[in-house]
Order: sequence, then structure tokens, then C-alpha cells
Amino acid sequence: MRPAAIVVLGTALATACGASNAPPSDTPRPPEQVYRETCGYCHGANVGPVIRGRQLPPAAVRPIVRQGSNAMPAFRPTEISDSELDALAVWLEASEADPQEQGQ
Amino acid sequence: MTDLDRRDILGMGALGLAAAAFPGFASAQEGGDAAMRVLPPDMDRETFGRAVAELRAIVGENWVLADVESAISYDKSYIPDPRDMHVPSGAVAPASAEEVQAIVRVANRYRLPLWPVSTGKNMGYGQATPATPGQMVLDLKRMNRILDVDPDLGTALLEPGVTYQQLQNYLDDNAIPLWLDVPTVGPIASPVGNTLDRGVGYTPYGDHFTFQCGMEVVLPDGEILRTGMGSTSNPSAWQAFKWGYGPYLDGLFTQSNFGIVTKMGMWLMPAPPVYKPFMIRHPDMEDVAKIVETMRPLRVSSLIPNVNLMMGAAYQLAMFNRRSDVWDGEGPVTDEAIKRAARAEGLGMWNTYFALYGTEEMIAAIEPIVTGAIEASDGEVLTEVEMGDNPYFHHHATLMRGGLSLEEIGIVRWKGAGGGLAWFAPVAPAKGEETAQQTQLAKQILGRHGFDYTAAYAIGWRELHHIIALLYDKSDPEDEARADQCYRELVTGFGERGWASYRTGVASMDLVASQYGETNRAFNAKLKRAIDPNGIIAPGKSGIA
Repeated sequence: MRPAAIVVLGTALATACGASNAPPSDTPRPPEQVYRETCGYCHGANVGPVIRGRQLPPAAVRPIVRQGSNAMPAFRPTEISDSELDALAVWLEASEADPQEQGQ
Repeated sequence: MTDLDRRDILGMGALGLAAAAFPGFASAQEGGDAAMRVLPPDMDRETFGRAVAELRAIVGENWVLADVESAISYDKSYIPDPRDMHVPSGAVAPASAEEVQAIVRVANRYRLPLWPVSTGKNMGYGQATPATPGQMVLDLKRMNRILDVDPDLGTALLEPGVTYQQLQNYLDDNAIPLWLDVPTVGPIASPVGNTLDRGVGYTPYGDHFTFQCGMEVVLPDGEILRTGMGSTSNPSAWQAFKWGYGPYLDGLFTQSNFGIVTKMGMWLMPAPPVYKPFMIRHPDMEDVAKIVETMRPLRVSSLIPNVNLMMGAAYQLAMFNRRSDVWDGEGPVTDEAIKRAARAEGLGMWNTYFALYGTEEMIAAIEPIVTGAIEASDGEVLTEVEMGDNPYFHHHATLMRGGLSLEEIGIVRWKGAGGGLAWFAPVAPAKGEETAQQTQLAKQILGRHGFDYTAAYAIGWRELHHIIALLYDKSDPEDEARADQCYRELVTGFGERGWASYRTGVASMDLVASQYGETNRAFNAKLKRAIDPNGIIAPGKSGIA
């Protein structure tokens, strides 16, 4: 748990923003990032079951993600691309359990 | 299944899993037509096929998902839908406003209804599913550019597919000291989508539509409209001044079906030097009336600048517990059982969260005024000093600084792994006397169907939202049918007393719209006919056909 009572925040001034008028990027995100920014908010965070370190078979992970089995939301190809999902499933199968994670 | 069971997964192929989770999937396969899904109303298969081919020519082969397998993600929904009325025909995912324009022109030609979603994560209101069967989801997630962030003005211009996570990453990467204001499912949801549905968050910028500024809209005829200052010869004030000149149009494109918003401006709060979250604990169910009376003047005067969220103990417990942890009796869980479980987790029957933002001196000046008033209501004022790592306090402290979390979605598993959530959110004035009657009515209707009173109240500014999570087991068809019936009785029962919803799921849009008066409905219908004569944009959204 992070301390949350009084947080004194940085006041760094940013000048350049680098906001983009370029077309949306199709560069796949690495599986660690997909896990951290989507799966990990529930799995291991006391909301969904722990899924790391359990050698879950990639062939089962893909349809679960796409359909959102049971209480899980579904994630569409526009959110997690097919290539990102393939890499995520392979990474997940090989992942080590994280003792910090808690399941439900 | 109370947990993800690896053996079960290993024993089922992808198709088996799909069939188990989605009965409609299996029947389509068995019907010998694996390629087609529910069709748009009054459209035959061949015509649909031609429309799909034209859409593919616009967005590319891969970005029209119109068969059972590839479009299955669009069917997922937590709300009760016992008759499978809210199933799309497929989805089309453009990458630009120009592609949206081209899609709209095709849709007009074929009278193909389009159901726009930004990220489709409207949990408890229907996710990406449409108000009527067979609409094609217009999935705007690929339009995910952050077009501008002005650190001096605290403004942003976004496409609909940008998530709060993506925007936070952008602010972090560029060391921009601006805060987000997130709804409870921030990481995977869209600021544009949430604002257009008039969603809320927990910082002083919590009423998202209030902090929206300027839109680009693809109209049903394919033209592009920019609201506010956006169409002047130098639109540099597009994100700085909301009103422009003449009638204010932005509201027409929220909770509506008059256009497709492809860019939206919003204001971001400068990170305050100091942030101090508070929790107030009250021991009894009936305390909520005096909490409202105590908090209203503090909120109306903006001494407290953010929403005052009064979380009921059962709702809090549902975040991190299963129902079977606290109750194994018949019927709805009792107040006594909830109170016992809540006490063990450091919670009262009502847990009110608010925060102060500013400099050390500002907070030192305001805090004694606020705590004095609250203590006079017999509330215990708690901060991190007392609450430490308490997960409930930590969760709300995260939300009130715009932090990203999905913890609250744990409530969908209250009654089991099957999930099931429908938000019911009636509005009243922020008066304590409103609460006792509302709580009683809610418990009466929920109890009749065996559901629990898992609820919160929130003083946004002058209004009181009653936020009731109807939690059921979607894997049990009988529970789903009960939940559907119960939800309708909640809407009707509260509506008869003048407590109408500020927002509702795709299955109850007509019902809620009917409570806002026939003249209002007819006016919306007249606008719809004038703007979208072929009815191609989201028919049925907010009860506008």
C-alpha cells in the first residue's frame, strides 16, 4: 500500500508536450506493459485470481481474454491486438509467481 | 468456479469455453451458419454482406468483425439481458474521423444502425452492447491520439480511443503536473466515452461534462461539426472557452444519438501542492440523513471541493469479499451481519470520503471548520494516521487524487464468479430527509427479489445521487431474470416518487426516458428525425428512437 495522507507533489514545469497528429500507432506493446496496464489491475490485486506462475496454457488464455469469461470483462482486438495477445499468453505461461500479488 | 481452475481450462477447447460462457455462440454454430450473427432489423443476409464489404474497403479487412468468433468480445455485458436483446451484428473499427465519415455514408445508404463506443467499458450499463439487437458497433478504440495537452492552461484534446491509462502515461512521460479525474474503471475506460455518458469521478473535477470544452462531431450526414470556438478561423481558444457563440451545442452530443464525437477537449486540474484525504465513519444505517445535512453546506460552499461519497458498508465489503464470507442465511444479507463484518474491517455502516486540496496553509485553515462540523454529527473523522494501510481507505484515497484502479469492479463477484452488475442511479436534491425514504424503498424492492442493498450516496454539488449496485449471478439464468425484473421495479418505484435516474443501462433506456415527460421525449424525437432521418446513429440510445 502506498502512503496517501499528505502527498507533496512535484511542480516541474513541462514545456514540450509531443502530442501527436500522427496516425495511431500499431506498434505492439510488450507483454509486461499489457499485463501491468490491464490484467494486473485485477489479477493479483485482490479482485481476480492470480494468473502468473501458474503455467496457464496460451490456447486457453486467448479465448478467455476475448470473451471475458465469468466476471471478467472482454478485451477486443482494438484494445489488445492479436499479436499482443499471443505474446501476452506466451509470457504468462512462462511467468514466475509474484509473492506480492494477492488473489480472490 | 470460485477460482480460475487450470484443470477445467485444460479440459475445454476454445470452442467449449465459448459455448459454456455464451449459449448463443453454440446455437449459431449448431444452426450450421458459423459466419453470421444477429442481423440489423429489416436487413437480409445478402444486403448485410454487401454493407460489410463496403465497410472493409474503408477500414481494411481486419477491422470489420462480423462473424461469430471474431466479434464475440462485443457481446460481453454485466447487466441482465435474459432475452438476449442486446447483441450487435458485428463491429467496425475506424482509425480516423475521415473513415468515420465514410462509414456514416455507407450506413445511410444501407440504413445500417451504428452503435458508437469509445472503449466500450461502460461497466454495469451494458459495456459495448447496443440498445436494440443487430446494430453494428462503431468501435472508436483505434482512434487513440492525444492531440494536444497544454500544461499552462491545463487542457487536453483527445480522440475517443484514448484511455485514462494512456493519458496518465503521457502526463508522466512528459512530467506534466496535471491530474486526471477518473471513474472507478479508469485504466481501461475512455475520458471521451465517460464524459459523453456524463460519468463522474472523485477529484474537484469530478463532474466530467462540466470540465469538457469543445468537440469535433461527425454528423449523421457525414459532415464535420466543431463546437464552441472550434470553427473560428483561429481556433486557439477551442479548449479554453466552452460556450462559443449562439446556442450551446455540446450537450446535444452527450447521452444522445445525434452525432459521433471524434475529438473532445477537456480540462485537467493542476496538481495541488498538498492533498489530504479523509474518511468519516458513522455506525448506523439511519445516520446517512444527518451525514447529508452535515456535508451539504460544506460541499455547496466548496469548502470541500470534491464529491462527498457516502459508501454503505455492504458496497464496501463487496469490493474485497464474497457474499458467502459474510452471510449464509436465506434472503438478503441483514444489516446486523453487514455491521459485524464491516466492524472487523475498520468500517462503519456509512463511510464518507472527501479530500482537501491546496497549500499547507489552506488546508490548515479549512480542516478545523470541516472536522468541527462533522464531529458535531457524531462522525469519527479519520485520516491516514488512523487508517494506515486499510484497503478501503487506500482505494478511495487513490480515486480522490485521480489515481488508476480497478479494485471496485470486484463487486461483480459478490454473488459468485458468474459476475453480474447493473447500476441504478436515481437523483434527488441533497437533503437528508430524502435518504430515509430512498433507503427504505430500495431495500423493499431489492429484498422482494432476494438482492442485497449494496449502495452509496454521493453529494455531487447540490444534488444527491443514490448509487445502487444491483449485484447478481449472471451465470444463473433464474438470478438474471430476477435481476432484470428487480431493476425495472427499482426504476418504476423510484420514478413514481420523482427520483429518476441520471444514467441507465441499454436495457432500460426507454423506461427511464418515459419518466422525463412526453414533451421532452417528443422534442428529442423531432431533433432525431431532423438530424438523422435514416436513424443510423444508435437508435434507442437514451430512449431516442
